[in-house]
Amino acid sequence: MPKQKLNPLPSAAFQILLALVGKDLHGYGIMRNVAEQTEDRMRLGPGTLYSSIRALLEEKLIEEVDHTSDSNAKDERRRYYRLTSTGRKLARSEAERLADLLRVARAKNMLRGDYV
Amino acid sequence: MSETIFRLLFRLYPSRFRQEYGDEAMQLFRDPARDETGMWPSVRLWCDLLTDLVITIPREYGHTQPEVAGAPAKVCLDGTPTFFVFETTSPGRRPLLLGGLLSLITLVSFPKLMNEFGNSRPPTGWTFASPGAYEKQVEESQRQASQSEQSVGQAQPSTSPPLDAASRHRIIENAIASIKQHHLDHSEAQEAADALLSHERRGDDDGATSTEEFASLATKQLREATGDSELVLLYSTHDIPERMPGPPPPLPAAYGDEMQRINCAFERVEILPHNVGYLKLNAFPDVSVCQATAAAAMTKLNDADALVFDLRDNRGGFPSMVSLIAAYLFDHPEYMYCPLENTTAESWTHSPVPGNKLASKPVYILTSSRTISAAEQFTYNLKMLKRATLVGETTAGGGHAANLHSVGDNFYVGTIEVRAINPYAKSDWNDTGIEPDVKVKALDALKAALSLVDKRQHVN
Repeated sequence: MPKQKLNPLPSAAFQILLALVGKDLHGYGIMRNVAEQTEDRMRLGPGTLYSSIRALLEEKLIEEVDHTSDSNAKDERRRYYRLTSTGRKLARSEAERLADLLRVARAKNMLRGDYV
Repeated sequence: MSETIFRLLFRLYPSRFRQEYGDEAMQLFRDPARDETGMWPSVRLWCDLLTDLVITIPREYGHTQPEVAGAPAKVCLDGTPTFFVFETTSPGRRPLLLGGLLSLITLVSFPKLMNEFGNSRPPTGWTFASPGAYEKQVEESQRQASQSEQSVGQAQPSTSPPLDAASRHRIIENAIASIKQHHLDHSEAQEAADALLSHERRGDDDGATSTEEFASLATKQLREATGDSELVLLYSTHDIPERMPGPPPPLPAAYGDEMQRINCAFERVEILPHNVGYLKLNAFPDVSVCQATAAAAMTKLNDADALVFDLRDNRGGFPSMVSLIAAYLFDHPEYMYCPLENTTAESWTHSPVPGNKLASKPVYILTSSRTISAAEQFTYNLKMLKRATLVGETTAGGGHAANLHSVGDNFYVGTIEVRAINPYAKSDWNDTGIEPDVKVKALDALKAALSLVDKRQHVN
């Protein structure tokens, strides 16, 4: 299967990486986290979510983890995902890229206040 | 039903994608469908899903195609055709029929759906505000219209009629007379009068040379002097009719028709797992029209071990319905405080209700920032009586409605003319809303409440 291009990193993939920082999540968990961290501006549907997950898995930016022994994981059909160190680095560099963009925007007086 | 539709739609994805993520995608549909109950959340969920499908299905085939293109078609179909295919097997008659049918449905329904959503608005009679009732809603909408005009006038001072000192003085005199006549608190009325006159003497009003500016300034002066946030001086180009004393006018026939159409706003009445009675109520409709529906709903829930009232989309209604439903939750008459009505015999619930088993059952109320008016009355009373656990968001904080009196020159004074006895505190939920006991996002409220029920059942 051909790999999805993650360069530049699509917004949905970046949000998924951010959602997985510090915790393993299943698909619905990711969906909710993304909705929460974007204040409901991004609501991932199954198609976007799993095509992004597949691309991130293929690029080894996230990995599947076994949570069947977890007492909280009532439903064994759910697959859990974890951020890899490569994924963490990519998310950080993407965040820095966005921060740089914000600095430029601020330098051009497009924004007011201390956003960065 | 909706799961079946989604399952059918999901079949439009390439088989490889379906095999890989089909189960999880179905789960991803079930979870939000379970959590996002109600009409608008459901509509939003379906909009999200359909948008996602429209965007991702072509993309998935786009990703699949190059790989398949690498495989000669003759391998699949014995060399006869010369085109490439996505699958290793020929599509059967069923998928082709299904695809055609779904395309047809989409083509036919899309313009209709767009038309529906383009013209969507809450049904008429949905926000029927209160006791005293239909007319108050009319009055409130007029008030909002005039406030809207006022703000527009402020933004565009050139459209606001000018006002000279003599006119201002005349309006102040008339406003003072009206406040003294209608305001419940004579000392506050006197303070309001003194404030208006002293500001005028000091020349504070000289800069307010348009009607809107003066209305806004005088309202500020009145509120600062009295601390009464309901006291208002409004300017409106529309005539606002004076409310006549006596019983409210009868409800229009359209109200009854609308209630029948929406099952009196009783959207869902169900027994959930663990024998939890669930009532999604989107208004507290008039008892004269909806008593039977309410009684049938409560009877259906009579054997439940716990009750969940979902008021997240409830936009208010009539205190009589609040009392009627609350009656099922007590084994003795209880006082239902209502800020819009003086205390009468009807302020007490008609408890116990014969045959009712719900008086001792735990009650949970789901709230959102949209829960307002009569829904807040229901919520506030049950919270104060420690009869319910509130789960969700702080409510909207709308309870009172000022009565407007003309003072000439298209100006109106608004005052509260009923001050009901609140046995619990000096102020109620007006402006501030009601704080839930368990604060979670409205979207998560049902899940949180069911979890509380579950814990309670395990303890017992």
